[in-house]
Amino acid sequence: MTAQKSYLCAFVFLVIMLSFSFSEAQLSETDQTCLGCHQMDQTMKFANGETLSLKVNPNDVEKSVHRIIGCSTCHGFTADNHPKRSYKSRKEFSSLSARKCRQCHDTKKNTIHEKLIRESAKNTTCTDCHSAHAVKRVRELSKGNQYCLTCHNKELEVHYKDGHKEKTMIDEAALNNSVHKNLSCVDCHVMVSAEEHPVRQFQNKRDFSIVMAENCRRCHFDKYSRTLEGIHFKLLTEGNAKAPICSDCHGTHAIASARKDKLSNARKCEQCHKDIYAIYAKSVHGSALINENIEDVPICSDCHRAHDNAGPHTANFRISVPQICASCHAKKEIMQKYGLSTKVIDTYLQDFHGVTMKFYKQHGQTEKQIAVCIDCHGIHDIARVKNQSAAVVKQHLLKRCQKCHADATANFPDSWVSHYEPNFQKAPLVYLVDLGYKIFIPFMIIGLLLQIVLHLWRYAVNR
Amino acid sequence: MYTANREYIKRFGPARLIEHWLNAGTFIMLVITGLAQKFHGYEISQWIIMIFGGIDTTRLVHRYCGMALTILTLQHILVASFGILFKKWQPSMVIHLKDFRDAIDNIRYYLGLSEQPARCDRYDYKQKFEYWGVVVGGMLMAATGLALWFPTMVTRLLPGQLIPVSKALHSNEALLAFLVIVTWHIYNAIFSPEVLPLDTVIFTGKISRERMIHEHPLEYERMFGVKLTQHHEDDEEAGKVSSTTS
Repeated sequence: MTAQKSYLCAFVFLVIMLSFSFSEAQLSETDQTCLGCHQMDQTMKFANGETLSLKVNPNDVEKSVHRIIGCSTCHGFTADNHPKRSYKSRKEFSSLSARKCRQCHDTKKNTIHEKLIRESAKNTTCTDCHSAHAVKRVRELSKGNQYCLTCHNKELEVHYKDGHKEKTMIDEAALNNSVHKNLSCVDCHVMVSAEEHPVRQFQNKRDFSIVMAENCRRCHFDKYSRTLEGIHFKLLTEGNAKAPICSDCHGTHAIASARKDKLSNARKCEQCHKDIYAIYAKSVHGSALINENIEDVPICSDCHRAHDNAGPHTANFRISVPQICASCHAKKEIMQKYGLSTKVIDTYLQDFHGVTMKFYKQHGQTEKQIAVCIDCHGIHDIARVKNQSAAVVKQHLLKRCQKCHADATANFPDSWVSHYEPNFQKAPLVYLVDLGYKIFIPFMIIGLLLQIVLHLWRYAVNR
Repeated sequence: MYTANREYIKRFGPARLIEHWLNAGTFIMLVITGLAQKFHGYEISQWIIMIFGGIDTTRLVHRYCGMALTILTLQHILVASFGILFKKWQPSMVIHLKDFRDAIDNIRYYLGLSEQPARCDRYDYKQKFEYWGVVVGGMLMAATGLALWFPTMVTRLLPGQLIPVSKALHSNEALLAFLVIVTWHIYNAIFSPEVLPLDTVIFTGKISRERMIHEHPLEYERMFGVKLTQHHEDDEEAGKVSSTTS
């Protein structure tokens, strides 16, 4: 830029600044005349009994962006021509007055205004948002979320193609309590800005929500990419619009931290999985959470995962069950609170089913079925074993055994030492056999080795 | 009946040799597939199971080998019983009180408490120990193995706890058998200075006269109608001695 040009710029800037400072101080003479009366307390009465103060605060006018256009430009009155008019209501008055705005302001530029005025001209007037005498530039109106709330704290509606209407009013208090309170509206509502508010037409509210949920990934990409592996996303891509999206579990404007409350997390799943939730609520895990507020128990997402929740009917899910249960049942610090043994996992893994499962998993033979925890203990209806009599447990167990061992009879369940390491009380015969060999094998082998050593020694001596 | 060969004396017919090697073959397969299951946590076990094509095929191979060994053991018992009852075979494997005395005598000899080792017959106490170990252990393994293979059938009549008991017996007895074979049998058949580098009897069916006099003097005396002295048995060149006495 040349020096001459920069001088020119500075000069133009100064002129603009000066003109502002002069004009702000002084209203035109005509306007002063109007204010001569309208600075006084006087009211106007409408046909329906409403009243309107006719007092105008000169300060508002002086600070308004319209200070230079003069009262009569909008009101049509002059000092000489001031006919009496009457209106049915205050609303009618303001909507008729606001028509004047459109003489200068082409609403077609901003489609959402155009739409509002076309659809509910009587209910929405320009002055509702921009105010009358204190009218300001849009950018001075308010900052950040307040800018959006200017309209979105009003009783406005959006109409979907299927005929449903939805209030567009936002609860500001809920917004400020949410974990997103420091974000601005446009961080999620990406198509909208202070300048642009295109009218988008959606078939129904669900379509809108699905499109909106795509915006969560802008920040939560890790979670989003995990959902791509989940069964819910798969259902969604298959055209099932009922499949849950981010906002179904996390909420929208009142979004809360998902880490806080286990019970409310579980209840999110209940919205769709009612039957399973009812079963879970009666189980040892569910009832502890719901009735005793114990948060050590698993909720839906602890087993099924929250975002990459695989379908539970897959072979891979089945074979990962012992690992899922182990994530709590192998932890001493959790189990000792409830007097539970952490040996349950080890005893399973050392036994026939567990060893088989381990090798199926290791060799990728996941299509092969072998009993895992849920086959004996149940899934959502897991009950406490200790509360039932041994006979009842055995009876239930037999039925579970028979699912795989069709020809199992009443004695068969006893062939499982029920998660105990064999001891003298629980499985005396097994314990004694093990103990016997534990003594006998070293005795025998050490004895034989001693004989070998003696034999070698004698042989060496004889030579 | 016995060969006239001066240096070697026939000890086993081909049937016994084949029997031994079939026994050894199935035993080795059972040990490989079985111990891999018992010690499933070790990498080598997992490698073995993978080589066999997974846990199911490993178990299948184990069970078929177990069937083979069971049939071998049963046929042996039948053949031996038949031979003893109808063909006047000598029940030379029967354990006598003398075998316990021999064991004590031999240990006394090793310790230098006695001048000469025990004088044994066709089978010495070590061989009887191994033989009965294989027969009785084999029957135990067959019975417990079948119980583990068909648990629902066993528990139809018998208490359920027999299944984990069978597992404890099967797996412990297997370890014992394996350890006895790799220490005692392998020592006596390969590493013992008396046979090093290898006891060839189980390949050829023939034993040298020298070893016969040394290890089975009672059988030798009965076979050739001679009376061996301590001097003969100690003689380095036992072959020469026997040729003069026979």
